[in-house]
Amino acid sequence: MKAMRSLRLRLFSFLLALAAVVAAVVGSATYASVRTEADELFDYQLRQMALSLRDQGRIADDERSALANAEFDYVVQVWSIDGVQLYSSLPGRQTALLPARAVLGFSNVEVDGHTWRVFGAATPLRVVQVGQPLAVRRRLAAEAAGRSVLPVLVAAPAVALAMWWLVGLSLAPLARVAEAARRRGAAALDPLPTAALPSEMQPLVDAFNALLGRLSAAFDAERAFIADAAHELRTPLTALRLQIGLVRDAPDAPAREAALARLRAGVERAVHLVEQLLALARAEPGAGAAQATIDLALVARQALADAEPLAAAQGAQIRLDAPEALPMQGDAAALRSLLRNLVDNALKHGRRDGEAGARVALALRSAAEGAVLEVDDAGPGIAAAEREHAFERFRRGDTSRSEGSGLGLAIVQAVARQHGGSVELGSSAEGGLRVTVRLPRR
Amino acid sequence: MRILLVEDDTMIGESLREALRAQGLAADWVRDGRAADAALASERFDAVLLDLGLPQRSGLDVLRALRARGNATPVIVVTARDALADKVAGLDAGADDYLLKPFELDELLARLRAVVRRQAGRATSALVVADLRLDAATREVSRGGRPVLLSAREFALLEALMERPGAILSRAQLEDRLYGWGEELESNAISVYVHQLRKKLGDDVLHTLRGVGYYVGPAKER
Repeated sequence: MKAMRSLRLRLFSFLLALAAVVAAVVGSATYASVRTEADELFDYQLRQMALSLRDQGRIADDERSALANAEFDYVVQVWSIDGVQLYSSLPGRQTALLPARAVLGFSNVEVDGHTWRVFGAATPLRVVQVGQPLAVRRRLAAEAAGRSVLPVLVAAPAVALAMWWLVGLSLAPLARVAEAARRRGAAALDPLPTAALPSEMQPLVDAFNALLGRLSAAFDAERAFIADAAHELRTPLTALRLQIGLVRDAPDAPAREAALARLRAGVERAVHLVEQLLALARAEPGAGAAQATIDLALVARQALADAEPLAAAQGAQIRLDAPEALPMQGDAAALRSLLRNLVDNALKHGRRDGEAGARVALALRSAAEGAVLEVDDAGPGIAAAEREHAFERFRRGDTSRSEGSGLGLAIVQAVARQHGGSVELGSSAEGGLRVTVRLPRR
Repeated sequence: MRILLVEDDTMIGESLREALRAQGLAADWVRDGRAADAALASERFDAVLLDLGLPQRSGLDVLRALRARGNATPVIVVTARDALADKVAGLDAGADDYLLKPFELDELLARLRAVVRRQAGRATSALVVADLRLDAATREVSRGGRPVLLSAREFALLEALMERPGAILSRAQLEDRLYGWGEELESNAISVYVHQLRKKLGDDVLHTLRGVGYYVGPAKER
């Protein structure tokens, strides 16, 4: 059976059940106590009546008619000592009614399926028996129990109905919140109203509003990112259009060759930007890193191999200081992208004035908390005040807009966070930039 | 026509300069706001193509400073910023036109001609001196209804002279109009082009004032 979901229905049923239990307990308690009292009282009466009839010797006429009254609950029988019935208040049924056998004191006697309470008293000459059906006592007790239970039974549905109404009233603010939530569009992420909300519901709506707030921030970030990305894509596309125009208008073959080379470079750049956007999107929170046991040292060597042609073309030097193997849990492709972006950045910005190419040192080591990666270069570095902004998407160093996507450090940070790690910018021993990435082993 | 190109993106800058030069326009290219300020303060340009997102100094600041100096050189803002507020800010700061990236080269050239034309107070792109006619939009030149075929440089030189008929332009002024910075330039280039123009157009329309310069129109009294 499906669990009872409605708070109202649950309260309502619970109250009714409770009332039933209370009624049963009160009723049986009343019944029991009234029975005990009635037993004591009636037993006393039986005994008094029997003793008084015994001591009286004979039964007066007016008494006879009173005893013979059918509405009178008691039956009186008098026997001589030798077993002859001298008197019965119910003539004609005497033999069947009470046994002739004289039991002195109290006894319960079964007659015709009814139980009688009988008191017998004896003198040397005769035996007096006074009997009363037990049903009388039971009826009295039942009536008393009924009277005591009645208010409970009458009040319970009324209380339950009041509760029904009260619960409805208390839940009305929740219904208003639900209505407010239902009415809004997908884009409306402002908090739900909390006015007049019962304090029990406040945490739920507060938690929901906090979630809405986080969603709203995430949506805003997405919107800003898409706007930025569209804006950023315009630059390579503008270059492509111009380059196509140059190919079209080239007056001779060498000019066309040169224009085509430029066009190719333009396409490469647009492709690079799109790849960087994708790398960033994959590393965004919520994407989740593919978990596998990987060798970070191997990934680092692969990333360096990727960067080698560029480094060679620039006359740059790259040094790698890494253990033979550094196993950890992570996403090899994402980490390779992280390393490649760090190396590319260092190659781009890590050249000291007067030197032919950049000098880049990549150090990878295993520490207690996990893997630590340091990429140093010999370039001008990033001023301390600028460092916190360096991770912003499409942020570029002041002079180098055309050479990069502006996403490198943003990707590095996103991948590090995806792996539960962190990125820190500092100064290298050469006075250039040092990027430190810490990745927990997990 | 001499154009100042202010653009921080290497690819766009290179390609645009190339394309403008292919049209016979002298294009000088600077990459940041301060260099743009310096170029605009020291030299005369017929038009400026101005990117807004520049290092050192924003394009809007460059534009405001230019107008604050009383310089009315036509400026076309060329930017990826498409928000209405950006356009309004650009035009209010003194831009003559606003062109969104990515743009078509032909549109840029047409707008360039349009702002220069408006600057000169003309309603059409055609320059007419007597029976000599030059259309900057179609790049057609005719004399007495007969079309004349000119090279890009010849066209640019004739256009510079026809913009103000009768006005004398020195060799240095013409060189400025025809060549951007760093372009190879033979010392007698201008006289060579003038010679070729006379051959194509006839020798009664383009005159030389020896030691002073060149002009187009009826010959001046000696």
